Amino acid sequence: MIVKVVVRNLIKRPFLHLVKVIGLSLALVGILFITLFLKNELSYDSYHTNAENIYRYTITDPDFLGGKHFARMINPGYVPELKEQIPEITNFVRLRPVSGGVMKFNNRFYTINQAFECDSTFFQFFEAELRVGNKETILENPASMVVAESFAGKVFGNENPIGKILTIPTGQFYGEEQSFTINGVMKDFPSNSHFHPDFIATPVQDRFTYGWAWTYLALAENANPDNVRAGIHNFLVERTDTETQEMDSRVYLQKLTDIHLHSNKLREIEANGNIRNIYVLAIAALILLLISISNYANLNIGMAGFSAKYLFVNKLLGSSKRQIIRYFFTEGLFIAMATLMLALLVVPPVNAIIQRGYQLNLLAGNLSLAFIVFLVFILLSVSFGMLPVLKPVFSAIKGVRNNSKTNQKQGGINRGILVFQYAFSIALIISVIVISRQTNFAFKSGMGVEEDNVIVFESVHASIQQKFETLKEELLKYNSIQSVSAMMEPPGGEANDMFEFELEGYTPDEQNEQYERIGVFPCDYSFASLFNLSFLSGTNFTKNNLDNEGSGEYIINEAAMKRLNYSNAEEIVGKEFKLNFEQLETTGIKLSRGKIIGVVKDFHLSSLKKEVEPLVLFKRDKLWLINFIVAFQPGKKMEALADMKTVWTLLFPEYPFQYESVGSMYQKVYKAELLQAKLLSVFTFIALFICSMGLFGLALIVTQQRTKEIGVRKVNGARVTEIIQLLNRDFIRWVVLAFVFACPVAWFAMDKWLENFAYKISLSWWIFVLAGILAVGIALLTVSFQSWKAATQNPVEALRYE
Amino acid sequence: MIQLKNIDKYYDAKFQRTFVLKGVNLDIEQGEFVSIMGPSGAGKSTLLNIIGFLDEPSQGEYLFLGDPANQLKEKQKVQYHRSHIGFIFQAFHLIDEMNVYENIETPLVYRGVKSKERKAMVADMLDRFNMVAKKDLFPSQLSGGQQQLVAIARAIVGSPKLLLADEPTGNLHSEQGEMIMKLLKKLNDEGMTIIQVTHSKENAQYGNRIITLKDGYVKEEN
Repeated sequence: MIVKVVVRNLIKRPFLHLVKVIGLSLALVGILFITLFLKNELSYDSYHTNAENIYRYTITDPDFLGGKHFARMINPGYVPELKEQIPEITNFVRLRPVSGGVMKFNNRFYTINQAFECDSTFFQFFEAELRVGNKETILENPASMVVAESFAGKVFGNENPIGKILTIPTGQFYGEEQSFTINGVMKDFPSNSHFHPDFIATPVQDRFTYGWAWTYLALAENANPDNVRAGIHNFLVERTDTETQEMDSRVYLQKLTDIHLHSNKLREIEANGNIRNIYVLAIAALILLLISISNYANLNIGMAGFSAKYLFVNKLLGSSKRQIIRYFFTEGLFIAMATLMLALLVVPPVNAIIQRGYQLNLLAGNLSLAFIVFLVFILLSVSFGMLPVLKPVFSAIKGVRNNSKTNQKQGGINRGILVFQYAFSIALIISVIVISRQTNFAFKSGMGVEEDNVIVFESVHASIQQKFETLKEELLKYNSIQSVSAMMEPPGGEANDMFEFELEGYTPDEQNEQYERIGVFPCDYSFASLFNLSFLSGTNFTKNNLDNEGSGEYIINEAAMKRLNYSNAEEIVGKEFKLNFEQLETTGIKLSRGKIIGVVKDFHLSSLKKEVEPLVLFKRDKLWLINFIVAFQPGKKMEALADMKTVWTLLFPEYPFQYESVGSMYQKVYKAELLQAKLLSVFTFIALFICSMGLFGLALIVTQQRTKEIGVRKVNGARVTEIIQLLNRDFIRWVVLAFVFACPVAWFAMDKWLENFAYKISLSWWIFVLAGILAVGIALLTVSFQSWKAATQNPVEALRYE
Repeated sequence: MIQLKNIDKYYDAKFQRTFVLKGVNLDIEQGEFVSIMGPSGAGKSTLLNIIGFLDEPSQGEYLFLGDPANQLKEKQKVQYHRSHIGFIFQAFHLIDEMNVYENIETPLVYRGVKSKERKAMVADMLDRFNMVAKKDLFPSQLSGGQQQLVAIARAIVGSPKLLLADEPTGNLHSEQGEMIMKLLKKLNDEGMTIIQVTHSKENAQYGNRIITLKDGYVKEEN
């Protein structure tokens, strides 16, 4: 019988119940995906069997590149010795990035995104399912390669890759050609791994004595990492033959499972996540949960009046408390079932969208977790949605006379919840505005992003580098091409290299003599003009990439000017300057003595999170110009791309024509922030939607409750506008109160968030005002419809209800 | 059956105590038909609510079938509502979401009467009140008189010992009112104790005893 009444009641007020269902399902879907995303983020690298005992080994050394903390190690040739000396280290693996960006097979070149030369112990560290081959023996020999399934498909199609030979062509930095035999195929690394190589291979000959490699150590069970660190430190002291107190290298061991969220070093294998984002998302999920459940409870409280008569009469007829609880519980269950069904309808398409945008299938393998989230959410919402209703209901049916008092109390709870919801929503709106503006500011500060007419050929192969001048010359013949340049680091990259230098009239700091180095940035002569760098003083490079001894041209940025103790750009221009490259003898590379010819304003090559570092720009021919940049005439993108392709295929027929816009390169730099901004916008939208629906529902309830009052007022001469004002005023007052609560909280949170950035927007007052106006505006729109309907009703109709 | 001894009912405001009932003494025997009269605000409905366990006296003693009511637990009150007391109201108080049949059936459900028996009992009532054809209609589809008939059917379907009626004809025109009063009289003749609150002297005459309240006191009994 209860079921029948519940169903009839639901049908009687379909809109209000729909509001409940939509609010709950939106929140459920949001919370589900946040939970799945958080699980994915928090489970990075934890699936490796020995994950708990694997550490990444890094070092900082003030003498080396200014003491910067790199995720990888320079010259880790001594690591096997380390294992022999320190018994707690049971194993090691080094991953050396494969340089060059392309692989050759059958005289065709294939782009690789990421690949490593590694020790044969790779599979003892990292779980990977082998499609073909035996993990124990597959990497035993030098030049053995295991390719990832997707890469194998790209290169070999349906052919069996086993036994085929893949070649790294003569690479950058004078690497020699090396060939590898494919011994196995492995499944692609899952999304929650901090690397995703196209292949791994044991080197042809030793590749670890010189060069960079990410280095991982396996420690014995129960080994204390601090002891191991001390052990490594002592080993380094002995090895370098220094006194312990003089040894200023610092040793770090970072847990494998901490890399994704807690590591922000230079030259990470891939851009990592950030634990702050995890907190932000977790809080967003919690807010969503609170808003949706409170909204549901609020509507329930508001609508309890509609069931009052039913419950009162039932009480007369002898129903017990339990039966009343059952009534509300049944109603809650119906809402819950509808919520579940709607959510189930929405989940698959949302998952598909996320999969398309972020290559993340969050549902895969997580069905049981999804089930738990659903169950917990439904239990929470049914019980917390019901609880606040029961008390006033019980007291209402107990005493017939005390209704007005309980009504007042209910109204108080209603409004309290409303203020709470709106405060959160306003805080969210403020956050979204601030985060979007800062992300936008950071993104637009990227070099060449604003003009949107620059593309990059990233990390081109050595043989292409050699032909840069020819490419430039050919490209500039086309009308569609504006300018062509090249640079060592791509836009958004890290300029980490530092050289010693000499400057006329500059006395190095005596105590720190050995640290006197400055950041360097080799580029093509048209670099400054292509990116519209603005000159504080001096001139741009002359039009060739060759300098003779004595006529070298150097341009410095503002930060470098200050670093060199000048405050006036005019004064430093013309001073004699020279960079000293230590590997002069081994490489034969010489940098000419010359002058500082110009000072440019600081430009943001890398993320705005970091301060701009002092940088010396110098032009080089055929060396270190790894990234090519082409600016085309605005509005001629398609034409320019076609022209570029023509030239490219003519000059480099065997290499893939692959480019990226600077926009997308900076998007990678701010991936976390952009994702955060997007997610927060979605949540804010959901939260606002739920709040507005709730407000709409409440307005409906209130106007229904005040039908008689409205009728009486109208009979006594109130105008429609006066009635609308009367009804709206109340709600707006509460939204304004919410605004007052939200502002300081949002200000505090956003101030903290902005601390992530070295360059940031200011928290202007208008952001807060805008959020307030938005909230009040949305509330007004929501409520006014109901108020208008109530106010324009014929007063006779209104009074007949009584 | 009902003994009220020195019953007070008051509400405390900040500096003032407002009495609704004061020192009410009343004995009602089984089988009586009592009419309570009095001007608005005299405390008639409050008295009826106290008798029906819908309200509690602030002071005084109330014995129902010899049991002191102020010691009754919630569960026992529910039991009395299920088996001993029926209510009818001026505003009918039918459940809008239920049709005629279901409205009459509800108290039987709470009493735990089996489905088959319930059917028979409800059918009996429908028959008695000539409402068989209307059993599937909802309250909003009935006239006031018909609604009150359903309310009475619902109140007496479980054969309660006591029927409490709060202005049962207040919302009806005189013809319908008369029909309802005659019905109540008939129920009383069959042995049901009835207490009604009414404004109408005429309707009060249907009872065999009239109690007049004024400002919370029992002014006269006859």
